[in-house]
Amino acid sequence: MKKNITAIVLCFVMILGLVGCAGVNKNKSASNVSGKVTLRLAGGDTGLPTPFKHTSGGPGASKMWLLYDSLFEKDEKGDIPWLAKSWDVSKDGMVYTFYMQKNALWHDGKPLTAEDVAFTLAYYKEHPPVGNDLVDDGQYIIADSKVIDTYTIQITTNCYKNTYLSKLGSVNIIPKHIWENVKDPATYEAKDATVGSGPYKMDSYNAEQGTYRYVAFDKYWGLKPAVAAIEWVPVSDSILAFENDEIDLCMPTGDVVSRYENKDEYTVVKVSAYRNSYRMVLNMKAVPELQNVALRKALAYAIDRQELVDKVGRGTGVISSMGYVPSASPWYNSNIEQYDFNLGKAKELLGGKTYSFKLLTDNSGSGTKIAELMKISLAKVGIELTVESVETKTRDSAIQNGQYQLAITQAGGMGGDPDYLRSIYANTNAAGNSKTSMSNSNNSGTKGQGQGKGQGKGQGKGQGSGNSNNSIMIRGWSNQRVNELANAQVTEIDQTKRKEMIFELQKLISDQVPMIMLYSTTTNFVYRPAKYNGWMMNRYDNNARCDFYKLSYVIRK
Amino acid sequence: MNISCFSTSKYMGKKVQGKFKIIKLFSTYGKFGIIVILFMLFIGIVSILFMGNSYKIPSGRSLEAPSLVHLLGTDDLGIDLLAQICHGAVVSILVGFCSAALAGIGGSIFGILSGYYGGWMDKLVMGICDTLMVIPQLPLMIILGALFGPSIKNIVLVIALLSWSRPARIVRSKVLSMRHERYITASQSYGAGFLHLVVKHFLPGVFPIMMVSVIGTISHAIRAEASLSFLGLGDPTSKSWGVILNRSINFKGIYFTDYWKWWVMAPLSMLILLVLSISFVSRDMEKVANKKL
Amino acid sequence: MKKHYFLILFIIIAINFFLPRAMPGDPFLYISVEEGGVATTFSQNQIEQYKAYYGLDKPLYIQFFNYIRKLLRGDLGYSIYYDTSVSKMILIRMPWTIFIVVCSLFLSSIFGTIIGAISAYVREKCADKLMYIFMIVFSEIPSFLLGLLLLFVFAAKLKCFPLSGGITAFASYDTVWSYWYDILHHAALPIITLTLAGLGNYYLLSRNSMLSVLSKDYINTARAKGLKKGRILFKHALRNSLPPIIARMFMSLGNLFGGAVLVENVFAYPGVGKLMSEAVRTRDYVLIQGIFLVVALMMLLMNCLADIVYKKLDPRII
Repeated sequence: MKKNITAIVLCFVMILGLVGCAGVNKNKSASNVSGKVTLRLAGGDTGLPTPFKHTSGGPGASKMWLLYDSLFEKDEKGDIPWLAKSWDVSKDGMVYTFYMQKNALWHDGKPLTAEDVAFTLAYYKEHPPVGNDLVDDGQYIIADSKVIDTYTIQITTNCYKNTYLSKLGSVNIIPKHIWENVKDPATYEAKDATVGSGPYKMDSYNAEQGTYRYVAFDKYWGLKPAVAAIEWVPVSDSILAFENDEIDLCMPTGDVVSRYENKDEYTVVKVSAYRNSYRMVLNMKAVPELQNVALRKALAYAIDRQELVDKVGRGTGVISSMGYVPSASPWYNSNIEQYDFNLGKAKELLGGKTYSFKLLTDNSGSGTKIAELMKISLAKVGIELTVESVETKTRDSAIQNGQYQLAITQAGGMGGDPDYLRSIYANTNAAGNSKTSMSNSNNSGTKGQGQGKGQGKGQGKGQGSGNSNNSIMIRGWSNQRVNELANAQVTEIDQTKRKEMIFELQKLISDQVPMIMLYSTTTNFVYRPAKYNGWMMNRYDNNARCDFYKLSYVIRK
Repeated sequence: MNISCFSTSKYMGKKVQGKFKIIKLFSTYGKFGIIVILFMLFIGIVSILFMGNSYKIPSGRSLEAPSLVHLLGTDDLGIDLLAQICHGAVVSILVGFCSAALAGIGGSIFGILSGYYGGWMDKLVMGICDTLMVIPQLPLMIILGALFGPSIKNIVLVIALLSWSRPARIVRSKVLSMRHERYITASQSYGAGFLHLVVKHFLPGVFPIMMVSVIGTISHAIRAEASLSFLGLGDPTSKSWGVILNRSINFKGIYFTDYWKWWVMAPLSMLILLVLSISFVSRDMEKVANKKL
Repeated sequence: MKKHYFLILFIIIAINFFLPRAMPGDPFLYISVEEGGVATTFSQNQIEQYKAYYGLDKPLYIQFFNYIRKLLRGDLGYSIYYDTSVSKMILIRMPWTIFIVVCSLFLSSIFGTIIGAISAYVREKCADKLMYIFMIVFSEIPSFLLGLLLLFVFAAKLKCFPLSGGITAFASYDTVWSYWYDILHHAALPIITLTLAGLGNYYLLSRNSMLSVLSKDYINTARAKGLKKGRILFKHALRNSLPPIIARMFMSLGNLFGGAVLVENVFAYPGVGKLMSEAVRTRDYVLIQGIFLVVALMMLLMNCLADIVYKKLDPRII
């Protein structure tokens, strides 16, 4: 009898649940405070957003960027003054003096001064943050930092490199009065761990649900926060969530985006992620035939990259430049050979010889499709490809260890300052850094040049290279002139001379074809302009996702 | 003397003759199950003979609805879905049979060894079986799947590794009961070696119950492969039904567009059908085997 | 008996330690990239430094020893990807998993047993055959497929239940009841899926057990005494067929957890199962180790408990 009753009670409860269906679709959260907007975005757990604990990568880092400020910010054209109102650089380029804003406050009300900046620079040396830009070639780039007065700071670097100013500008400043007592930042999770000086404050974070809530910091010194609150909510299908008005931005693929085009309530923007590109890497070390320049040029001519854009990218995509520097960059040299599809030239260069290679690709749809299309195209000139499709990690590992002949991968490291040419194509790095792992990304963005996760975790030995050192990609090839130019351009103070060097580098690279660049993917962004229209779509170094950029969330003139 | 000796060999002989008679003993569900399994085998053979590579080469526009050209439409890469489903049948059946066979053979060997020799070997084998039973199966399979890497070979190995304990136990108990039969002692006194006993006596006796447990393992193996593929740990080039499901579920926008009607429902229903029919057949075979014994 | 369990415990710990270390896919090679994410690169320096921190550069047996020492202190290490203590991560997610597992265990055992008992009572009649087939079908279909079906029909199409999550984000609640209602609302589909998947077992068990009990003499006596059908069924027969069912309840916790891993993925439910698949995806083997150990230990405990309870319920067993 007892069992009977329990059963009946449970049935009752379940029926209640089903009956409650009616009240489901109401948006329960306090999402629209009168007048101001709450922005809702697709989220997921990316760790506590302090500079030491967020997960590496765009989603984790961008949440942290909103809470903290840096000396510069990045907009569509370049670095703009932010916490640093203005600055001076010494003649030898190694001493930087920054004059800071006088009214910046921390989220707990205390003022932000040069002391905080000096403290941050010293603290980061001992406890590297997740995104660590201050290490170059194994060295901490800051030799000394001096507080001149309350709002002026002078930083001396260990040498001059063209990339250093931007690196200094991208350091996220942390409050001295909170972190000076923290021995192990990786374990610090107290309430004030997320106190920064950025336009938004942390309101709540729930790890297992993967939800974040930020509210606007009304005492923010700079450009006013554009929304009252930002909420990140995990969703199982972001398109459905967008349709149901649960989130305000989504990135549909080519097949689905047609639903939103030509409709007034939606705005569709297509952004090409110039920073990333599909490319075919050639293992010239393992396959001596590939050391023949004529063969490499023939390969480049025989691949129809427009076809790849049309069939794999569904017509949205941009062919990459064979000189590596993307066409949208101010450093782009347009006078180089771009190897437009030309089977005749390819056959000529091959001179009747036939070859057969193994092509390694990953198991994603795009990867396999690119490989298949290449196979068909190259067969027409007598190059036979055997396609091997493996898991992404296996492919990356193979490239890392040189266990491939030809491989297709998508990687980044093409944004902002063209110093990446040095790390990829030049073989002699200043400190003789040993090979690093590959950076492999899909439509991504990151601050500055690269990120390294070097953590001492209380050991006090935080050292690691911050370069996204892609030298893995070029195997068995090196060029004296390229090395010379690459190492010279980074320390060249005269910017005109530097531009010439970069131009010459691109020409050499395009002539030598050590790697065949394919195309960059394009992402579709859809949002409702009536709800929020302040998205910054492009950033000079990044072009990846508008919801990662801080400037998307503040009101710009 | 001993009737069971004669009856088992008679059973073997009769089994071949009376194969179809056994099927008559099945319930309607069992018969339904056999028909479905035969159907799956059929489309598998069709796939190998006639469809060639169309399960992995794009042959149409992406996400086409079912039409005369593509009977089940295409997926997001433009690959014909019907070809993929047919190929998936091959994969599922192969994986199911191979892992079950491996588990069955391995398990039987261990069971016979453990049952016959007893002592430390018995304790060792049974200890391993116990541990395997206690450890949560799916998480272990996930880890092993990630460890060995995503290829069909490895998945078969992993599933076999985790499923051999059940046949081992069953075989062991049968061998234990047979070991004390008088005809065994008689053979031993005639100088019969271990191998002879195994081949002539143990195997025939063990065979029927092993068959039943093997069929159960087939269903378990197919389900395990589908689970692993669904979680993304399967072999993506194999295009098994679990893999197709994984891709279709993770497609952004699957929930409100029409694509799910064919892209999700086809592999889903095929999986359910196959698993159900094997289970019906295995239950009926168990009943039949029990009746005979 | 007890020695037996300790040995198994040791084997589990050893497997747990060695297995992930043999995994290909170096966690430092890169960290898995989601759409719009960036992979980090590690320089050789960093990799070496990481290895030193995790103690990966020491010989294997020393690592094992340290591992056991840390275990005794309850320290399961630090997740490589999330940079948080593994025990903490598991602890905050465990209640969610336990909630759906226990609820579905309860529901499936109660309903399965009752339906099985009824089925045994009316055996060979139409109702029995119908229920039998129904139960078999549900128990054979893999749980995640069931879950997918339910997700599509009830969540995506009919919009009765939410598509994902354990609770509505950032909601504020007026009363305790609305809080629990929200939780139940989100947990409903996962619980229903797991319950349906587990019903079959209890049904069959209860049916068989009941069938053997019903043929006993004391049932005939009760019938002869003129007792009502329901009373015979529940007060006498069912109570005596309980022991195997209860023992099975404990044992099936293991299978249920396996099912929970899959089902949590289907519904994006914030439990340990979802964490497990995240960990495998990012090859975060510290996290994988931690989860696996906790789950295996729980299962061992359940088996132990099952033995004890069974003995108490049926003193005839030695």
